[in-house]
Amino acid sequence: MTPVSAIVLAGSATVAAGGVLAVLRRGLRWGLALQAVGMIAVGVGGAMLVLGAASAGADFTGTAAVTFGLDDLTGFFLAALAVCSVPALIFAMGYVPGTRGAQMVGPLTAAFLLSLVGVLTARSAMGFLVFWELMTLIPATMILAARRESIARKAVFQYLAITHLGGAGVWIALLLLVGQGAFGDPAALQAAGGTMQAIVALTALIGFGTKAGIMPFHTWLPRAHPLAPSHVSALMSGMMIKVAIYGLIRVLFEWLGATPVWLAVLVLALGTLSAVGGVVYALFQHELKRLLAFHSIENVGIIVLGLGASLLFEARGQADWAALAFAAALLHVLNHAVFKGLLFLGAGSIDRAVHGLDLDRLGGLLRRMPWTGGAFLVGSMAIAGLPPFNGFASEWLTLQSLIHVTTGAAPTGASLPPLAAFGLGSALVGFAATIGLAVTAALAVLCFAKVVGLVLLGQPRRQACATANEVPRAMIAGTTILAALCVVLGLFPGVIVPRLMLLAPTAGGASIGGLYDGSAFRLQVPFLASGSLPTLGVGLVLASLVLVLTAVRGSRRAAVAPAWACGQRVEPALRWTSTGFTKSLRLTLETALRTERAVDIEEKGGVIQAVTYHGAVPHLFDTLLYGPIVRGALVLAGFARRLQSGSLRTYVLYLLALIVLLLVVGRIWVAP
Amino acid sequence: MIWSDAAGDVVRVAAGAILCPLVPGLVQHIKGRLQGRRGPSPLQAYRELARLWSRSMVTPADTGILYRLAPTVVGACLISALLVVPIAGQASGWLVGTDALVLIGLLALARFMPAAASWDTGSGFALMGTSRDLTLSVAVEGLFLAVLILAALPTGTTDLRALSDAAAGGAAWTSPAHWLAALGFALVLLAETGRQPVDNPDTHLELTMIHEGPLLEYAGRDLAYLQWAAAARHWIMLILAVELFLPHPGGLLGGLGATVVTVPLLCVVLALVESWQAKMRLLRVPRLLATGAGLCLVGLVIWFLGITS
Repeated sequence: MTPVSAIVLAGSATVAAGGVLAVLRRGLRWGLALQAVGMIAVGVGGAMLVLGAASAGADFTGTAAVTFGLDDLTGFFLAALAVCSVPALIFAMGYVPGTRGAQMVGPLTAAFLLSLVGVLTARSAMGFLVFWELMTLIPATMILAARRESIARKAVFQYLAITHLGGAGVWIALLLLVGQGAFGDPAALQAAGGTMQAIVALTALIGFGTKAGIMPFHTWLPRAHPLAPSHVSALMSGMMIKVAIYGLIRVLFEWLGATPVWLAVLVLALGTLSAVGGVVYALFQHELKRLLAFHSIENVGIIVLGLGASLLFEARGQADWAALAFAAALLHVLNHAVFKGLLFLGAGSIDRAVHGLDLDRLGGLLRRMPWTGGAFLVGSMAIAGLPPFNGFASEWLTLQSLIHVTTGAAPTGASLPPLAAFGLGSALVGFAATIGLAVTAALAVLCFAKVVGLVLLGQPRRQACATANEVPRAMIAGTTILAALCVVLGLFPGVIVPRLMLLAPTAGGASIGGLYDGSAFRLQVPFLASGSLPTLGVGLVLASLVLVLTAVRGSRRAAVAPAWACGQRVEPALRWTSTGFTKSLRLTLETALRTERAVDIEEKGGVIQAVTYHGAVPHLFDTLLYGPIVRGALVLAGFARRLQSGSLRTYVLYLLALIVLLLVVGRIWVAP
Repeated sequence: MIWSDAAGDVVRVAAGAILCPLVPGLVQHIKGRLQGRRGPSPLQAYRELARLWSRSMVTPADTGILYRLAPTVVGACLISALLVVPIAGQASGWLVGTDALVLIGLLALARFMPAAASWDTGSGFALMGTSRDLTLSVAVEGLFLAVLILAALPTGTTDLRALSDAAAGGAAWTSPAHWLAALGFALVLLAETGRQPVDNPDTHLELTMIHEGPLLEYAGRDLAYLQWAAAARHWIMLILAVELFLPHPGGLLGGLGATVVTVPLLCVVLALVESWQAKMRLLRVPRLLATGAGLCLVGLVIWFLGITS
C-alpha cells in the first residue's frame, strides 16, 4: 500500500469514526471535528497525487466487484472536496448543535462525505453506481431530518424523482461501457463505432448533466439546495455537482475514444445555455439560497464551457490548447467550491442571526455582523469575477480558451481558402460562447451588486436585522477560512495551473508542462508570445493605490447629512427592492422571459377601491418542459393504474406471464 | 533596461493622469461652440477638480465603510487601467501586464464599487442610476468582447501591445473585418464614456442620470476622485481607439504622433455625435449594442471567408 493510499484510507476511517462519534449525544461537536481532521488527511493525499505521486489501487474494471483506486484526477477532486468540506465542518460545529435533527445530521454528514470519496475513488462500475446512489439519497435524508414541512417533503420528492430520471442516463452510459468492454479502455469504444459512441456520450451528458445542474436538466437544484442545512448546501453545491463533472470528464474525455466535433459543439452550447440561463434566473429570485443555487447552475455552465472548449481543441488536434482549457475548467471547479461554499455558509450564518433569508427584508448586516458580512462580501466579489479574487482568474483562463476557439480556427497559410467550413463553424461557436461568458460575467456583477446591497448594506429592514448579533466563533472561522482562500487563490493561481494542465487526459498535457514559465505570481497562456495575467501584481497595485489615495484624501469631513431625496425625508417604505433594481433588465429581456404581469383595479361607482398588482418571472423550463412531461407521466400512470385490480389472482397471472415471456426470450436470443 | 521600462511606464501613467481631464473639457468646449456659445474653456475640468479638492466631503446618514471606500477603489482601478493600456504600443507590462481582459476586469470593479456605495446610502436616485448602468453594462461587455475577438483575429492573443502592433501600418486595414470592429468599438466608446445617445453627461435631472447617479451623494475630494475617474475612462477608451481601431503608423514616434493628432480629432467627433444625437430611449440601447455585436459577427464571417478589399 503506497503512502498516499494509506493517508486517504486513514482519513476516510477518521471520517467514519467521526460519524460514529456524532451519534452520541455529547459527541456531536467532537464528531464533526474528527470528520474535519479526516477530511484534511484525505485532502493531503489528494494534493500529493496532484503534485505527482504515483497512482495507487485498482485500475478501472468492468467487473461486479467493488474496487478502489487513486490517480491524479481523483486526487484533484479529493483535494477540492477537502478544501470545501473542512471549513464547512468547522462551520457545522457551531451551526448543527441545537437544530432539529442534529443527532441525525452529524453522522449523515460523515456518510455523505464518505459517499463522495467513494464515487471519486471507485474503480468498478458497480462501486461507482452504488456510491452514486448513496450520494443522491443521503442529502435527501438530511433535508428530511432537519425539516418536516410539506414543502420540504414535496421538494425532496421532486429532487429524488428528477435525479433518478436523469440519473438513468448514468446507469445506461456506464453499463453500455461495461458491455462494450470500454470501462477504462479508451480504444474499445472507438472500435465499437460512431453510433455506440453517440449513445454513450448523450446518455452520459443527460445523466451526469442532471446531477451537475446543466440546463435544461437543472430543475431539481433550485428546489433542493435551499432546503438543506447550510453546511450541507455548501457541500452539495460545492462538491456534489463537481463529482458529476468528474464522472462526465471520465466518460467524455477518457473512455469515449476520438472526440466527435458535434459532441464538443453540443457541450459548448449546453455550457452557454447553463451559464446565461442560470444567472438570468438568479437575478429574479427573492430568497437568498435559491439565488445561490441558480448561481451554481451558472458556474457549472462556465466549467462545462471550459470542458467543451477542451473537447473542441482535441477534435481539432490542438492538444496543448485542450490541456489549457481543461485546466481552466478544473481551476473553476476548485474556485467555485471555495466561493460557493463561502456564500452558502454565510447565508447560513445570516439565517441563524436573523431567521429569514428573504432578500427584501434584510439589510445593514455588514455593520452588525462584521466578520460574516466581510466574508460574504469577499465571496460575492469573487463569484462576480472581479479582480483580484479567484473567480476572475479562472474566468480569465476560460475566456482565453474560448477566444482561441474563435481566433485559432483560422486556417493557417498565406492564402485563405474560399469556404473553410470547419474553421468558420467552430469560429461561430466560439464567438457565441465567448459573448455568452462575457454577458454572464456582467450579469453576475449586477446580481451580486444587488445581493451585497440588499443583504449587507443600507438600513436594516426588519427589527431582527437591527438587533442581529454575530454568530458563534466556529461559524465565523468556517467563513473566514474560505474568504482567505478566495484571496490566496486569486493572487497565486499560477501555483496550481501547471499541475492542472498535466492532469488533462489528452496527449498535450505532458508536453506543455515544460513550456510554462513556472511563475507562481501570474497566469499564463504558455504557447503565445504574450497573454498573461499577473495576478499578484494586480492585487498589490490595487491595494497599494487604495492606501495611497486614502492617505492623500485626508479626513476632513462635514457633518452627517441625510441622503438626497429632493429635499424631502427619506421614507423607509420607499426603499428600493430586489424587483425594482432588476426592472431594467426584466424589461429588456421581457420577450425572452415571458414575464407575467397583472394589474386588477377594483372600482365601485367610479371610485377606485383597490389596486392589486401581481408580477412574476416564470421559470420557463418548468412551464414548458417539465410541466408537460409531468402531466404526460400522470396520464400514463392513470392508464397503468388499471392494471392494479387489487385481486391477488391477477397479480399471480402477471408474474406467470412475465416468467413465460422471459423464458421464451431467453430461448430465442440466448440459446446457441 | 528595466529602468527605461519603468520610467516609460511612469511617464505614460503620469501623462494619462494629468491629461485625461482635457478630454471631457475639450468635448464640452466644442459642444458649446457648436451650440453657438463661447463654451467653457477646455481647462475648465481642471478648475472643477481644484474646486472640489478644496471642499469638504459629505457622509450621508448611516452609511458604512463601502461608501467611504468606493472613490478610492475606483481611483485605484482607473490608475491601474492607465498602467495597463499601452501608448504607441509601448508598455513594460511587468506590474499589471497589458492584457485587454485585465482592463475589462478593472473597469468592472470600478463599476461595482459605486453600485455598492449607492446601496449603502439607500438613495433612490443613486440606485436608479446604478440599476440602469449595470443593466447597460451587460450589453456593453458583450459588445466589447465581440470587438476584442475581431481585433485578436490576426494575432490570436489579447495582449494590447500585440494588438497594437498588428493594427499598425496598413496590413490590418485590408480586411473589412477590422473596419467593422472599428464601428463596433465606436459604439463601445459611446457607451463606456456615457455620451449621447446612450447617456447624457450634462444632465442634472436625477431621474435621467445613468452613470451620474451613484455620484450624486459624493462631494469634495471623493467627488474629485470620481470625476477624475470618469475622465480617465474617456482617456483610456480614446487611447484604445487610436491603438487598436484606427490606422496609425508603427514605431514609437509614429505612434506618439498619431496619438497626439487623433485624440483631439476624436474629441471633435464625440462632440459632433453628442450634438447630433438625441438621447436614445433606455430600453433601446441594448438593441443598439446588439446591432454592434451583429456587425462583429458579420466581420467574423468575412474574415473566415477570406474576403479582403
